[in-house]
Amino acid sequence: MLQLLLFNVTNGLIIGAFYVLMALGLSIILNLSNVINFAHGNFLALGGYLAYVLSPYLGFWGALVMSPLITGIVGFVVERLMIRRVYGRDPVYSLLLTFGLAFILQDACRYVWGTQGLPLTVPAELAQPLSSTLFFITGYRVFMIAIVMLTIIGLFCFLRYTRAGVRIRAGILDLETVAALGVNVGLLRSFNFAVGIFLAGLAGVLAGGQIGLNPNMGDSLLMPTFIAIIVGGVGSLTGTLVGGLIIGVAAALTTMFYPTAADAVIYAIMAIVLLLRPRGLMGEEGMLT
Amino acid sequence: MSTAIGERALDRLPVSRYKWPGTALLWLALLMVPLWVPWAGGYVELAGRALVLGLAAMGLNFLLGFTGVMSFGHAAYFGLGAYGAGLMLKYVTGSTLLALFTGTLLGGLAGTILGALIVRRRGVYFAMVTIAYGQIFFYIAYRWNSLTGGDDGLRGFARQPLGVGSWVINIQNNATLFYYFLLAVFAIATGAMAFRLCSPFGRTLIAILENERRARYLGLPVERHIWLAFSVSCFVCATAGALYALLNNFADPMTLHYSLSGEIVIMAVMGGMRTFWGPLLGAAVFVVLQDYISSITVNWMSFIGLLFVLVVLFFPRGLLGILGQRGAP
Amino acid sequence: MSLLEVRSASKNFGSLMAVRQVSLRVERGEMRAIIGPNGAGKTTFFNLITGFFPPTEGEIWFGGRDVTRLSAQRRVSLGMGRSFQVAEIFPELTVRENLRIAVEVGRGLALRPWLGRAKARLVRQAIDEVLAATGLTTKAARLAGELTHGDQRATEIAMVLALRPRLLLLDEPTAGMAEQETYDTVALIRRLHRMNRLTVILIEHDMRVVFHLADRITVLDRGRLLAEGLPDEIAANPAVQAAYLGEPA
Repeated sequence: MLQLLLFNVTNGLIIGAFYVLMALGLSIILNLSNVINFAHGNFLALGGYLAYVLSPYLGFWGALVMSPLITGIVGFVVERLMIRRVYGRDPVYSLLLTFGLAFILQDACRYVWGTQGLPLTVPAELAQPLSSTLFFITGYRVFMIAIVMLTIIGLFCFLRYTRAGVRIRAGILDLETVAALGVNVGLLRSFNFAVGIFLAGLAGVLAGGQIGLNPNMGDSLLMPTFIAIIVGGVGSLTGTLVGGLIIGVAAALTTMFYPTAADAVIYAIMAIVLLLRPRGLMGEEGMLT
Repeated sequence: MSTAIGERALDRLPVSRYKWPGTALLWLALLMVPLWVPWAGGYVELAGRALVLGLAAMGLNFLLGFTGVMSFGHAAYFGLGAYGAGLMLKYVTGSTLLALFTGTLLGGLAGTILGALIVRRRGVYFAMVTIAYGQIFFYIAYRWNSLTGGDDGLRGFARQPLGVGSWVINIQNNATLFYYFLLAVFAIATGAMAFRLCSPFGRTLIAILENERRARYLGLPVERHIWLAFSVSCFVCATAGALYALLNNFADPMTLHYSLSGEIVIMAVMGGMRTFWGPLLGAAVFVVLQDYISSITVNWMSFIGLLFVLVVLFFPRGLLGILGQRGAP
Repeated sequence: MSLLEVRSASKNFGSLMAVRQVSLRVERGEMRAIIGPNGAGKTTFFNLITGFFPPTEGEIWFGGRDVTRLSAQRRVSLGMGRSFQVAEIFPELTVRENLRIAVEVGRGLALRPWLGRAKARLVRQAIDEVLAATGLTTKAARLAGELTHGDQRATEIAMVLALRPRLLLLDEPTAGMAEQETYDTVALIRRLHRMNRLTVILIEHDMRVVFHLADRITVLDRGRLLAEGLPDEIAANPAVQAAYLGEPA
């Protein structure tokens, strides 16, 4: 019983970690650019596939570094070429644009790498279970959670201590003032978009090592990620973090006791939170609502 | 106050004004579909599909184009309409009209109830919450295998002939008669929407679209009016969904999925979201393109995605929006 | 009983105290001006009165009723009409359509599926009256967004008048206007005030306008109530002069 509980809690943490990585990326783009990136899950898949392509040359570690970076650069280019052209227009356009991008990216991945799932091999030393009784806790799982935690700490430090990060945070609160101070808001948004996509790419590599690659791998993550952001409160990154963890753990615990209700539970959590706190747990008056 | 990057500086497209000659011409074309569509290389079922999705897009546009509120979850109400009608025909009744009514009621009421919870949100947040709520129904249909057929969809029902006393209209096997049945329902639904838009209520929606702050400071209960508009648009989408189930004799869980919501929105935008009939035109173009592209390539998704991107970047006003640009009052 | 009474209202935005314990009484039929240097909290004070946001503390009474917790739209339906610094109108509609919406909402017709012949005539008459009162009759068919600054302001005031308010709040009605437009707007406000015994509160920067129109003047400075009195008293008040000249009082 204890073993089963531990098994599910670990699973919950891992799922939650993916939700958080996805949601943080989606959230910083949403906060600064007011764009819901429907293609986020497809950028995740792209990150995974890039790691698959790169790892024969760079090894797993090289791919783990390079693939999210390249995904981020792709994101930067996409933002420069397309997304930026819909800023300041009716938000319906940005949604449709990323919606179309999602279709294109998904189809492109399927065209290039096929519909069959592909494995992403992780180094043997990581694939070992840490102990024989707790066979499900492989080194890779511990490693994944560690990477996600480091990334989150890194992201929050970036936003707090670097010049670009401080500008992004200020821009979320009041973009016009930031622009008036002479900051190149267009470039800031492009960079910020790239950071968000970088996080998606990283999540893609990590997920690929755990569950393998397929063109739809990001789709099932997209909805829970939305809900994590809504539950946490749109406009608050800390809220997104909390929301992602709540949703992940809740989904895992339900899976343990009553698997068919796992989806239902996260929607129920969202409905309850919205009823009690219409702006989400950490959303505040005046944020993007 | 507002600059190019400020959120209040959105370029709202103007709402185009009603034009009678065009409307008359449109109805003529719709009535003659069984004559000209086969000649143009199409088939009547395809026209029916365009009509039904057009109705859904027009229903969504009641909210999107005339109130300025963006829902990305309308597939849920469309799909509920489809499942409502399908379940009714399969388990309860042999009456097509009753099934249509049940589907409409199911989707419309679900939308009305959920709408009350979300009308305070705006912009992208509203869109996000509508998607998330909409997906609830997708998962229910997907998981509740015994009732809904789960992933395979709901099968094993068929639309029944319409009977009034001893007089029977066979919409079951006669595609042309069924098309006219669709057109009749379409006429009632769009007529009701046009009527609503021309009323004081319709004008308050345009007021909210044009300037929400001013609408509020005229003493208008903005949330209540958005909620009512949301409700109307859900009822129309649910009607369209019920018709869709009758058209296919099948209810697909993908009709509940948010990707269909996105397609309905692109139909409305492509046709011209500030025009009344634009979404119908957008739906027709979308349906024909999808039919054609999916017959020549397996990569049709890329082309549909490309269509989204092209419309957003180059034709934001939509087809009718371009035709009806300023000048004609 | 005063028409409007603000009892020691404050508004904080985080640590910024935009309005600090300001009290105000406005009698029926009065024309009150609120003046003060930039950043004095005048618009924030307006927003408190009209329910744009709730006060951090204090109460607002209107027509003998506590409205502190009522929404903006409820206060409007109780008779508070408001214009904004940048005219808030429906730019893509004609002036007549702008007014039509205001009249229909103001008379509680907003949910009607249709209007009967009698009601439709009533609405038309009300529109024509307001058009005439604000001098917009010849511009009724123009799109509101294409009018001059002054006419857009007049359209906004006309919409508010169409609601038949008991209290009219004008936020810098002559801001950004040329000489002639300012003159016309002042004449319009004066005429409305005289004709209907309408109670008016206006925020204004142009001192000529203030001393020309106001019965009494309230001076705000850095969120505080600095002075209140007749125009002559205010003009002679050393604290007010100091505030405007930026010297310590």
